[in-house]
Amino acid sequence: MVKQKHVPYLFLLPSLILILVFKIYPIFDGLKESLFAPTFLAGENLFVGFDNYRMLLDDPVFWNSIKVTLYLNVIINPLQIILAFLLAILLNKKIKGIGLFRAIHFIPIAVSMPIALIMWNVMLNPEQGVINTILVAMGFEPQPFLGSKDQAMWVIIMIATWKGVGYWAIFLLAGLQEVPKNLYEAASIDGANKWQQFKNITFQLMKRPLAFVAVADTVANFLLFAPMYVLTKGGPENSTNVLMNESFNSAFIYSDMGRAMAINIVILIILLIVILIEFRFLRAKH
Amino acid sequence: MLALLLFILVGFLIVGCSSNKEVDNTSSEGNDTTSENSNSSESTDPGTVELIWISQQNDERTQPVIDAFEEANPNIKIKKETYPFRQLFETIEVKLGSKTPDVDIIDVDVPLVANYAVKGYLEPLDNYLDPDIKSKWIDSAVEAGSFQGQLVAPPINTSSQVLYYNKTIFEEKGIAPPPNDIEQRWTWDQVVETAQKLTSDNNGDGQTDVFGFSFEQISRPYQILPLPQGLGADQFDEKGIVTDGYTNSALSVEAGQFYYDLYNTWNVSPKIPVEQAKEYFTTGKIAMFIGGTWNVGDFAEADLDYGFAPHPYFEGGEVVTPTGSWHLGVSKNSTKKEAAAKFVEFFTAGDGAKIWFESANNLPAHVDILNSIEEDPKFAEFPANINVLAAYEAANTAVPRPMTPGYLEWESLVNKAYEDIKNGSDPKDALDTAIQQIDRQLKKYESVVK
Repeated sequence: MVKQKHVPYLFLLPSLILILVFKIYPIFDGLKESLFAPTFLAGENLFVGFDNYRMLLDDPVFWNSIKVTLYLNVIINPLQIILAFLLAILLNKKIKGIGLFRAIHFIPIAVSMPIALIMWNVMLNPEQGVINTILVAMGFEPQPFLGSKDQAMWVIIMIATWKGVGYWAIFLLAGLQEVPKNLYEAASIDGANKWQQFKNITFQLMKRPLAFVAVADTVANFLLFAPMYVLTKGGPENSTNVLMNESFNSAFIYSDMGRAMAINIVILIILLIVILIEFRFLRAKH
Repeated sequence: MLALLLFILVGFLIVGCSSNKEVDNTSSEGNDTTSENSNSSESTDPGTVELIWISQQNDERTQPVIDAFEEANPNIKIKKETYPFRQLFETIEVKLGSKTPDVDIIDVDVPLVANYAVKGYLEPLDNYLDPDIKSKWIDSAVEAGSFQGQLVAPPINTSSQVLYYNKTIFEEKGIAPPPNDIEQRWTWDQVVETAQKLTSDNNGDGQTDVFGFSFEQISRPYQILPLPQGLGADQFDEKGIVTDGYTNSALSVEAGQFYYDLYNTWNVSPKIPVEQAKEYFTTGKIAMFIGGTWNVGDFAEADLDYGFAPHPYFEGGEVVTPTGSWHLGVSKNSTKKEAAAKFVEFFTAGDGAKIWFESANNLPAHVDILNSIEEDPKFAEFPANINVLAAYEAANTAVPRPMTPGYLEWESLVNKAYEDIKNGSDPKDALDTAIQQIDRQLKKYESVVK
């Protein structure tokens, strides 16, 4: 007879084991591998201690990748969360045909990432792509888009946001529908205006879903890799060479798994720090 | 607090996904098929052996070769997995890097022979093939397919490039196209001058409709290398692990400047992704096009009125044309090496070589087939006579790509540098940045080139 208090842990056991095997173990394996370097011919890897990390520290390409990754995230995360929140509020309006709008906003989510990226690449073709043709028809100069080191990252931010906002809005919409209507009634009786209602009721009760969306979105964007892989390969002039892209190149082009793993560990550490900060700011008080 | 822990776990979860190498290694499906396969090849009953071939070759073109091989060897089946050009290299890194026995045969781009050999991807084939077999191929291809004196990857073909042109565009503009005559080979100056006349905006919207010139393999070293090589610039030191002072030498930068000018000064070449170049030429948006002999079939299918001429050169410099192509290697971790070597032999030296030449129109590396081009009268007619030109170039003007264990790193980073130059980066800056990255990556090969 299993004691009552052990039962919950038994139910958790299968998922904990899977997490250990497929998530926690690979992290430690990655950590271990980041301490080795390839030697070739002999076939065995050489233990080099923290050399991979030391070499990263005086590698300008790595520092550029840190800069690019942080630049991307400082812009894309607030942008996506604010837009997703606005979209969720709009989708929560009780108007005729809202079901249709909710369906439309779901379309970008349902398109697979590589297909969407290839379609965008065709539309953004600098030589007579659809978007440049529209710009020219409206009297603007044609733009280089992904061919320009000043525009490429913004194009990626635009595409990733187009793809991501609808997804995050779903979580926030679910949160909004949980907010009790009688709170708004009570507030309006007390004479609170729309802004005060939003600030003191909606935002306060939305802290939990917002915290989840903020953290999950941050993780997704730190690991954002498909657009760089499909569209720019990290170029032009390494302006979109995020850490994930550099890690991928190290592993599968430069045959240096140690360097790739060292970069992954750096991403993990940065990510944990950022998430901790986000929790401090979005902790629900109730 | 519990929520915090949970979210950190979520973070771990998602970060964990990025190191999916583990998943590859431990995939139970992979292990199952391995044990099955090794059982079937070990048992006395020959049974059916299935070989897995990782390739970037067009399925339709390889099918006749596979059919003929399977007919001659009913107990061996070939299962081909096809990948796009750049993804092939990554797939090989992932699969062969993990030492999986699930791969038997791989396409080897010839400059990567040394790279794959030092990484222990390729099985030396001297024990599996007839020692006299090497005389079946041209010497340069045998040398390029060998590492430390052992044949590791025999050639399925070699390659050469010509200057194609769209006859309709030339006629409309009343300009004489380049002649198919090696005595009157055009210089790059002539190509650029003509390209400027051919480049036009037909509807006055400020966007170019016809471009004078483009490479088929935009920014890829295979086609770009004749620019620095034609000016006399080496890309590596003798050992093949230092590029500083070579890939960014004054002459290499001069070649980069020429490439820059094509896109940014003379504006005669389109800034398009490499995959779209052929489409642009076949639909009449490009007037002159450096491309491989393999295009002939597709051009006929597209009903294109085209001609071809020899590859251009810099006046006062050497005539240099690209060469080298795909070879086949047997994976060191294959459990069916003998059967795999049989297929490699059939494709590169046996009946398959001829079938392949007829199906894909690549310049053969097989001596007998190469000789037949000179003798057979059917190669005097257009467009089959493209093979005569290609054979001439291969024998007289071809310069192989650099020999180095770090070719994969060099190729990817130089490709990126040329993409940047195409998009308007300063050629010297782009090449300087590239060599810093390359030399840093190539240090790890110091121990294997002593």
